[in-house]
Amino acid sequence: MLIQIVDDLVSLSVDSPPEAQALATHLREDEAWLEVVAGIDSVVVRFDAAVIDTRMARRRIDDLLAGGIPPLPSQEGLLEIPVVYGGEYGPDLDEVCRELGLSIDEFVALHTGADYRVDLVGFTPGFAFVGGLDQRLRVPRRKEPRQRVEAGSIGIADGRTGMYALASPGGWTLIGRTPYKLFDANAADPFPVRAGMRIRFTAISADDFNA
Amino acid sequence: MSITVLKPGLQTTIQSRPRIGLRHLGVPASGAADPLSLALANRLVGNAWDTPALEATLLGPTLRFDVSCAFAITGAHASVSLNGVPVTYHETCFAEAGDELSTGAMETGTRLYVAVAGGLAAENVLGSPSTCLLAELGGLEGRALEGGDALRVSPVSVAKLETPDEFRPPMSSSWALRACESFETHQLLDDSRDRLFESNWTVGRRADRMGLQLGGPTLQISSNGRMPSAAVFPGTVQCPESGSPYVLSVDAGTVGGYPRVAQVIRADRHLLGQLRPGDHVRLLLRDQQAAVEELRAKLDYWRAWLEDIEQII
Repeated sequence: MLIQIVDDLVSLSVDSPPEAQALATHLREDEAWLEVVAGIDSVVVRFDAAVIDTRMARRRIDDLLAGGIPPLPSQEGLLEIPVVYGGEYGPDLDEVCRELGLSIDEFVALHTGADYRVDLVGFTPGFAFVGGLDQRLRVPRRKEPRQRVEAGSIGIADGRTGMYALASPGGWTLIGRTPYKLFDANAADPFPVRAGMRIRFTAISADDFNA
Repeated sequence: MSITVLKPGLQTTIQSRPRIGLRHLGVPASGAADPLSLALANRLVGNAWDTPALEATLLGPTLRFDVSCAFAITGAHASVSLNGVPVTYHETCFAEAGDELSTGAMETGTRLYVAVAGGLAAENVLGSPSTCLLAELGGLEGRALEGGDALRVSPVSVAKLETPDEFRPPMSSSWALRACESFETHQLLDDSRDRLFESNWTVGRRADRMGLQLGGPTLQISSNGRMPSAAVFPGTVQCPESGSPYVLSVDAGTVGGYPRVAQVIRADRHLLGQLRPGDHVRLLLRDQQAAVEELRAKLDYWRAWLEDIEQII
């Protein structure tokens, strides 16, 4: 495993999002860290350089790795995310269907026809990177990011579906929007979507969205 | 008991300590962009370093005290007056009910801090009362101040204090930020690595609590400026497709898909909150050992005036 140290940050490289999540969960067993943040194929630990020195941080990580990294238990449940596809809710859907040579119905059937896994939560509170997008739905990010993407927007890019928990700038190709609250600071659990969760998208009408 | 906002200024928010330990759920640090200046202001009015205070940006607010209250000003240099009489930075000041505190445009530096004895009421969300504008968390309804807002205070009486001269951070329009090579620095092509650490950069117009764009030579990078999303932190210097470095600050997102080509060392991250468009910046290359030693040296220096300095920077 490639381990790099940069000031108060230690990066560990892995091969996949599930490995990154398993490693991050394992590293959190040592409460010394200020942050343990998984990426798509890496985990970065931030240590408190005022309290522990670089060599000690490295040793504590080596100790944690020595016993192996237990895989995360597989998730039983399946979270349904209702989505209004296209129209004002998914302003890029028409264009992306033209590019991909699909009708809108075909696109929606493909997108709702699979189970997905949340690879990563991050960027902004509750933003979810959802892995497992059908090969036929692969598009790159937009060249020009939008200044504002509405909360609940569902986008695709680089083989993933992105769920915008908050209104923010963004560069994903927008295909729809969900009324499901992906982040609510006042809820008992502000983060209902977690990395590793299995999810499925279901198509709803604009009337259902506003109901 | 309150302070009334007569004019809000350009972007005035309530700030305190950062949010820590939630980056894996996408929660940015937030908190004062220049936490050292926040702590210095709170010190002068007898508050804990992270007591909620005002952070003003480039153009400060006008406030009316509706109750007598001690306050202190630190950070970016602007003309500040109480009922038209100039207010001195870095000392405890005393306002009577009805007094108006007016802060003008920042002349050097970007962010000015106003601390009041007893602190400002603020909503504690996800471990901190700091305002996070993007997620609309903390502070006053998670937003910047608006005219007519009433800031609730509970004043306590305090003795007059002055910051000793050696603990008054200088404001400037040219900055040296010590930085380490980062995880993707090796992707910089040809002499781009040398350019990164040897050029005189200019802060671009895109400069806020999310981050600061640096103008100067264009960097060439082998990966076309994209990579699988990975963790980023305040002080991370990214190199996106454009080849213009972007330095992340306190409100930056928690993961990014641009190569990380440098990391401003912890000792100097508090300076990011004072950089403004047009300022000159150099990134001074440091190795791992120097980064740690320079943090230790800075902590040792400041501990004599701010005993919680380990939590502040």
